[in-house]
Amino acid sequence: MLRFPWLLVFKNLGGRPLRTFLTLASLTVAFFLLCVLRSVLGGLEAGIKASANDRLVVQSAVSLFVSLPDSYQAKIQSVPGVEDAIRWQWFGGIYQDPSNFFAQFAVDHDRLLKVYPEIHTDEAAAQAFLEKRTACLVGTKLAQRYGFKVGDRIPLQGTIFPRFDGQPWQLDVVGIYRSSSANVDEQTMFFRYDYLDETRRAELCGGPQGAGVYVLALDGRAPEAVAARVDALFRNGPQAVNTTSEAEFQRQFVSMLGGVPVFLSSIGGGVLFAILLAVLNTMLMAGRERTHDFGVLKALGFQASVVFMLLLLESVGLCLIGGAIGISLAVGSQAAVGNAISLVLPTYEVAQETQLLALGAAAVIGLVAGVLPGLRAAQLEVVEALRAEV
Amino acid sequence: MNAPAIQLSQVTRQYTRGGETVKALDEFDLEIPQGGYYAIMGPSGSGKSTLLNLVGGLDRPDAGQVVVAGEDLNQLTSSELADFRANTIGFVFQGFNLLPVLTAVQNVELPLLLTPLSRGERRKQALHALELVGLSDRINHRPRQLSGGQEQRVAIARALATDPQLILADEPTGDLDRDSASSVLELLERLNAEFKKTIVMVTHDARAADSAGHVVHLDKGKLERIVDNRLKAPEAGAPAEQEA
Ligand SMILES: Nc1ncnc2c1ncn2[C@@H]1O[C@H](COP(=O)(O)OP(=O)(O)OP(=O)(O)O)[C@@H](O)[C@H]1O
Ligand SMILES: [Mg+2]
Repeated sequence: MLRFPWLLVFKNLGGRPLRTFLTLASLTVAFFLLCVLRSVLGGLEAGIKASANDRLVVQSAVSLFVSLPDSYQAKIQSVPGVEDAIRWQWFGGIYQDPSNFFAQFAVDHDRLLKVYPEIHTDEAAAQAFLEKRTACLVGTKLAQRYGFKVGDRIPLQGTIFPRFDGQPWQLDVVGIYRSSSANVDEQTMFFRYDYLDETRRAELCGGPQGAGVYVLALDGRAPEAVAARVDALFRNGPQAVNTTSEAEFQRQFVSMLGGVPVFLSSIGGGVLFAILLAVLNTMLMAGRERTHDFGVLKALGFQASVVFMLLLLESVGLCLIGGAIGISLAVGSQAAVGNAISLVLPTYEVAQETQLLALGAAAVIGLVAGVLPGLRAAQLEVVEALRAEV
Repeated sequence: MNAPAIQLSQVTRQYTRGGETVKALDEFDLEIPQGGYYAIMGPSGSGKSTLLNLVGGLDRPDAGQVVVAGEDLNQLTSSELADFRANTIGFVFQGFNLLPVLTAVQNVELPLLLTPLSRGERRKQALHALELVGLSDRINHRPRQLSGGQEQRVAIARALATDPQLILADEPTGDLDRDSASSVLELLERLNAEFKKTIVMVTHDARAADSAGHVVHLDKGKLERIVDNRLKAPEAGAPAEQEA
């Protein structure tokens, strides 16, 4: 192969503009979808990956939905290796309308920021959170969504903890927080556990006693040993607990989705396969259509390998261009897509790894789809090819 | 005298279709000297194209020997045959010679890719060839934007761009009107007279055959006679006579 007729590769791509455009469009859509799917899968795993390994979560051994007694706090706190133990309780309140869904947690306000260094807020907010019983902190994105500002009073209709007077709970925004880890999203409201607890004790609202989970900050000792000690402490009741790493705890939520990740992966696989067939079809058509051209090229003295490469390169080129456009669209729309699904999936990022993988997949599809038509063209008998209808 | 440009001895090429064997060429002998301009004539199906394809290394015989420019084509691998075509042969087919996606000059440059010439030299040589066929003003036209005669002239320019010893043309005027055909024939004559190219041209057209030096008549895969146009009489000692 002295020199390769590169020009022909480009000219052939432009030779059938409509077909090239349509194939490129399918490739673009397919690779856009692939990037989105993989990013969604990545988002599901992000919480797990970002989990701190110096924190443990204590939950009921029976179920996440069974509360743990408040009296456990002091006992857990005294286990060697535990620096802090704070309570978390899912509140599940409704803000104005049930469709305005966001997470609210009652937490031990005095130690939240200490146990979670990834939650950042200003000094004034931290101070106000300590002083005001009805205080709450809201995440940046949550504040953005509903226009919450410091000083706002947010009414939340209790569902798990309904107030007997029928009125909504009133929470005062004292600060907006940012999070520096995918482990804590910016769409959550934190308010004071003691406020919930006092209301409960005063029998002004319904709902279960106790806390959903305890989150433990460790003093540097091996998490496994500490977890075993905590579990042992309550083995004989009154309520057995299950202590896990934060990652393990997060993983529960992904596995609650059951087959969803597998489902998403198989959609991705299906998209890849469909696009392979589409490109293969295009290339077979292109190859057949150019049978006469290949006859001419061979008659001129071009080797079979050149004819093979012409189709292979055209196929790879087509896939890389379509793939690149799809990937660029996925990257370009990252903010918009991320916003649209942020409630379900706080972390959505089209990672560089995803982009490279998609581009690699595009190249492989191009190769696979080019081989068959390429071989066919390479094996053509010159005389037969020249006889072909144009 | 020099070795012949083309020498076929006892060449048989047969096709089997539906259990029936057709001998497109049947123990065929022919010698064409260097610098000759030969027209091949004969009824449809008599084996003219088959002959040309064998000489051009596009096809292989089932039996017999094809020697072209000193090469025994039977001895060459497919890849060597491709090189042989690139170096020795210039082809002109009937219609649809050109790649439709390339311009005239790009089409002519195509076979030059197989030579060691630089990009600039290739362009220069292609332009020169197009000038020779009188199409300097059409270099950036696509085949579809050219008339049939112009297309054939571009094909001739491409065939001679690499300066091959041998030009093979299968019905180069088959699709053309009278005037276009004349200009193509003039061109071939000139290539033969001025540039000493050996030319073999298959044709149905008596007028085209007249422009050649010799006319080879085929029938049913056998050589019937060879007419020397300068004498306008069957050549003495032609195989046809021995065999009739
Ligand atoms: N690929 C093939 N398969 C079967 N038979 C073939 C094939 N190619 C040629 N033939 C047969 O060989 C014979 C000679 O064919 P060829 O094409 O050489 O004829 P020709 O003289 O060029 O005819 P025409 O003037 O119509 O072009 C014909 O009978 C044809 O049917
Ligand atoms: Mg023919």
